[in-house]
Amino acid sequence: MSASVAAGALKHHFEDIEQQRGAERLGMWMFLATEILFFGGIFLAYTVYRLLYPKDFADIAGRLNVAVAGLNTFLLITSSLTMTFAIRACQMGKRSTLLLCLAVSGLLGTGFMCFKAYEYYQDYEEGLMPWRTNFGQEKVHNPDDEHAPPTTLNEQWEKKGVAPQRVRLFMTFYFVMTGIHGLHIIIGIGVIAYLWYRGYMGWLTPDRYAAVEVSSLYWHLVDAIWLFLMPLLYLAGPHHSLHF
Amino acid sequence: MILQTTMLPPQASEIAWHVDNLIWFISAVCGITGLGVYGALLYFCIVYRRKVPNQLGYAPTPRILGSHKMELAWTVIPLVLFLGFFAWGAWIYNMCFHEPPDAPEIYIVGKQWMWKIQYPEGQRVILGQNSLDYSKTVGGEGYFEGVMVLPVNRPVKIITTSEDVIHDFGIPAFRQKIDVVPGRYTSTWYLPTKTGTYDVFCDQYCGTNHSLMVGKVVVVDGDTYTKWLAGTWSPDGGQGHGNRNAVDGSMAHQGRQLFMKLNCIQCHNTQNPRAPVLEEIFGTRRQFKDGTSVIADDEYLRESIRKPRAKVREGWEAIMPHFGTDKVSPEDLNKVVAYIKSLKKGDTPVRTEDWVPPVGAPTEERPQGKSSEGGGPK
Amino acid sequence: MSTTIEHETGAPHHAEPHAAGHVSYLKDGYSIWSWLFTVDHKRIGILYLIMLTLFFAVGGALAGLVRLNLITPSGMILENDQYNKTFTAHGVVMLFLFLIPSIPGVFGNFFVPIMVGAKDMAFPKLNIASWYVWMLGAGFAVLALLTGGLDTGWTLYPPYSTRSSHGNVVTGVFGVFITGFSSIMTGLNIIVTIHRMRAPGMTWGRLPLFCWAMYATSLIQLLATPVLAIALLLLMIESASNALGVPVGIFDPALDGDPVLFQHLFWFYSHPAVYIMILPGMGVVSELLTCFSRKNIFGYTAVAWSSVGIAIVGFLVWAHHMFVAGISYYAALLFSLLSMFVAVPSAIKVFNWVSTLYRGAISFQAPMIFGLGFIVLFTIGGLTGLYLATLGSDIHLHDTYFIVAHFHFVMVGGMVLAYLGAVHYWWPKMFGVMYSDFWSRIGAVLIITGYTLTFMPQFWLGYHGMPRRYPNYPAQFQFLNVMSTAGYTVQLAGFLLIHTYLILSFFTGKKAGPNPWAATGLEWAPTESPPITHNFDTTPRVVAGPYEYSLNLTQTGEKADVR
Repeated sequence: MSASVAAGALKHHFEDIEQQRGAERLGMWMFLATEILFFGGIFLAYTVYRLLYPKDFADIAGRLNVAVAGLNTFLLITSSLTMTFAIRACQMGKRSTLLLCLAVSGLLGTGFMCFKAYEYYQDYEEGLMPWRTNFGQEKVHNPDDEHAPPTTLNEQWEKKGVAPQRVRLFMTFYFVMTGIHGLHIIIGIGVIAYLWYRGYMGWLTPDRYAAVEVSSLYWHLVDAIWLFLMPLLYLAGPHHSLHF
Repeated sequence: MILQTTMLPPQASEIAWHVDNLIWFISAVCGITGLGVYGALLYFCIVYRRKVPNQLGYAPTPRILGSHKMELAWTVIPLVLFLGFFAWGAWIYNMCFHEPPDAPEIYIVGKQWMWKIQYPEGQRVILGQNSLDYSKTVGGEGYFEGVMVLPVNRPVKIITTSEDVIHDFGIPAFRQKIDVVPGRYTSTWYLPTKTGTYDVFCDQYCGTNHSLMVGKVVVVDGDTYTKWLAGTWSPDGGQGHGNRNAVDGSMAHQGRQLFMKLNCIQCHNTQNPRAPVLEEIFGTRRQFKDGTSVIADDEYLRESIRKPRAKVREGWEAIMPHFGTDKVSPEDLNKVVAYIKSLKKGDTPVRTEDWVPPVGAPTEERPQGKSSEGGGPK
Repeated sequence: MSTTIEHETGAPHHAEPHAAGHVSYLKDGYSIWSWLFTVDHKRIGILYLIMLTLFFAVGGALAGLVRLNLITPSGMILENDQYNKTFTAHGVVMLFLFLIPSIPGVFGNFFVPIMVGAKDMAFPKLNIASWYVWMLGAGFAVLALLTGGLDTGWTLYPPYSTRSSHGNVVTGVFGVFITGFSSIMTGLNIIVTIHRMRAPGMTWGRLPLFCWAMYATSLIQLLATPVLAIALLLLMIESASNALGVPVGIFDPALDGDPVLFQHLFWFYSHPAVYIMILPGMGVVSELLTCFSRKNIFGYTAVAWSSVGIAIVGFLVWAHHMFVAGISYYAALLFSLLSMFVAVPSAIKVFNWVSTLYRGAISFQAPMIFGLGFIVLFTIGGLTGLYLATLGSDIHLHDTYFIVAHFHFVMVGGMVLAYLGAVHYWWPKMFGVMYSDFWSRIGAVLIITGYTLTFMPQFWLGYHGMPRRYPNYPAQFQFLNVMSTAGYTVQLAGFLLIHTYLILSFFTGKKAGPNPWAATGLEWAPTESPPITHNFDTTPRVVAGPYEYSLNLTQTGEKADVR
């Protein structure tokens, strides 16, 4: 096996390249297991409150921008696909395909973050940032009654019997969950960019495809977590209309 | 128990007797097992020690790899014993949370760093040694080194909640403790079996003066207890601060005053109701707008005051405001709930506006919403 | 991804030794940078050892303050607030900065690769990163303790910690949060190393029990720590929001949060964390007992799988810390039942250890004394756990000194003794010098007696109902408290003695051979004392089980004699 391995691909403390790949793959899977428990913890906490305060959570979840979230879901799933193509391209030594696939994945991830930022901006506009003192005090349209003049969220909640502190709880979870996930995406984009650079320099030989493989494992996990976040947060309440 | 000597902590309740039996049973089993292990260890260490001291390296020893039979034995036997502990313990635990149905309910509200104890008959005691902070926060009302009084051989139910952080109400002589959690009501019950004075501790760390959130419970005979409830007897002979509270009516009576003061009566009345009449609702099934229903228990009554819009009665509008801890303290909440539970048919008070005017009073142009006491023209 | 980092050409393809790898790891570079930027698992182990010793001294001194204060009922030296900060600091330092990284950090790093026959950990750079991350977390924790301290107890229960505490909750919790990542890194490295780096012939059935224990420990570190991380993150957010005046009540019932939810998340980590602290100790003891009684371990499979069993069942028992916290009756039943199941594997281990001694040839060097002390004290710690797992008795004993005594018997009587046993057992291998045989035996006996004297009275205190975390207490508890403090001084003497002769051994200790205990593991037989940088000249071929003492065979098939 070692005869076919390029110099430097095998690190000194491994016996052969298969052992090294196995170690890297297992290491990444173990890391993903910790990630699942990490997100699992906050999903659990969120779910507890979702069950305790269904009415309040449904009301505010209905305010989130489900259209953007849907688009983002599409972006991430697509980027997962191109990451998988990148592994194959690396194994087969097709450098330009590899670079293209990595670039597309990275750009889709960046697109996700841009839309996410747009969503955050909307929340900012609507006074839904739990750490700001204007929380619930901005005048916005009532989704239940599109023709009514805008009133403050606090007034709308008062009318509907929604407790503002529970909305604050929801928004805190929303920002923590999407924030941590966004951080993971940013790290993932960094990793992909680094891979791209290495591929561009011609260092990603087929011997070293494990680097692409473990990175894509990570990327898939980050996508999978989004697939849980999306229904938990955005689909927790009724959406009256889709708009951006 | 026979072992109950002066070396052992006082055992002053029904549960304490059970808990002690269990503890000594576990001790006996563990003691025998432990001594067996230590005996074997010591025996092996002596018999199989190296005859030449400090010698290391090769020694002819038999190559014993293990024994499935022994592994099985010391897996199954401990497991069976442990499950025995479990079953016994579960039985006692179950007992702790199922009080006799007629036990009077004593409310305990924990607060940094004192225990406020309310008896249904209206007696009220505060335990704690932290008088300094207390006078700051409450303004010197009452005295501090109060003593909780309980009757011997009569069960009492304890319902606890906290105003701030988590505390724990524990009486070692009763072998009982219960976490006192803000926003929740936890309960247990005592059946004191021996008269005497015992320690009360806060067992859950709650801040600077955690160790001063302590007091005494005095278990007295039935007659003395009745006198104490009436305010005519106190544990220190009426000399100290033990019980200076004049009894100003039962908890339900105090609740009635709050019912008026908080303007509950404005809507929950019989003349011009804008909200359900609350007579004899306790224990009945309540139907809600969304089609669900529950039996009205303590929890439901408290929720309906704290978060009235969570469950809205069928046929009524959700107009009642929230009564948070800023408007109704946990103690006051207990009183209001006690009052609602006590309401019988026709007990709902009449709104002051609906009082029949005195004979001869002017009957026209009486301003609406003013009480008749201050009813002079404005 | 770490493949991607090294791309220098000309690195050897195979196991040919390279020149630098031939010298003792201690002599492979003397500059401070050769230590701080090392990727050698042995040097990283030593870095951990140095810092752990320091933190242990700090934690021990804090324990001394606590014990001193409790000599008189009204509290001898500390104000209530100071006392609260002292015991919190003691808890945080001992748990997060000593016990959790102790054996995994020092001996897991140093010996797992050698014992499985590898040249290094699977991810050397991750390994040194874990030390730096741990130091960073420790830095934050120490900063928080120095600039005002924490007065929350190490359990950090809200709403006290987020609402009423007047300590540096956010900084301190952030420190603990960071040390968690270090713990995960170490665990990940050890699991992958054991899975993928074993030498030819090192089957799972020939793996030393220390490695099995480290494997089980690492599983817990990987799967439990992230849940603590998220709980602490939410706690930090709540604390910060309170400080900023825009309170979010994640765990505060006044704002519709649920404080018991935090307890669930916290104990989901912190109960398994108890096994992070004790399992490595169990692994060490299996090594010590076999070596000094010249016997195969009794029931290898049972001991190995009981470690994994503890790790798995240990995940399912967390709510037994909450029996009086207002959880439902059925939840309490379930968790009590499961706690009984987790007690069984520990019992299996004790019985197997004792049976190992049967017909052995036992010698009583210091490591063996520590090992035997472990069995005696851990048995007490384990058995008293049954009182607490049983619902009826837990109601009385919960949050009293009984619990304090129980977990100190497991943590100190178990883990610290095992740690010291490991230090004494592997000291000649790590540094190539021997310490004083006589003084080490005295030290071991002092610590074990001092230890017992400190914590035995606390069981009695707890049964009488003295609550934990009290800076002052009713006068009837004084006698037992004074006894406990007296025990502390004996322990202190023991620790000072141990540190003295261990440090002296560098200067006056005689040189240790490669196998001073005539042991059988890979770390003794083909390995030098101290080991060379790459551990082995050639990859060892394992032909025998780990404890073939009666055949006098090392794992590579040589004679297991004193060398």
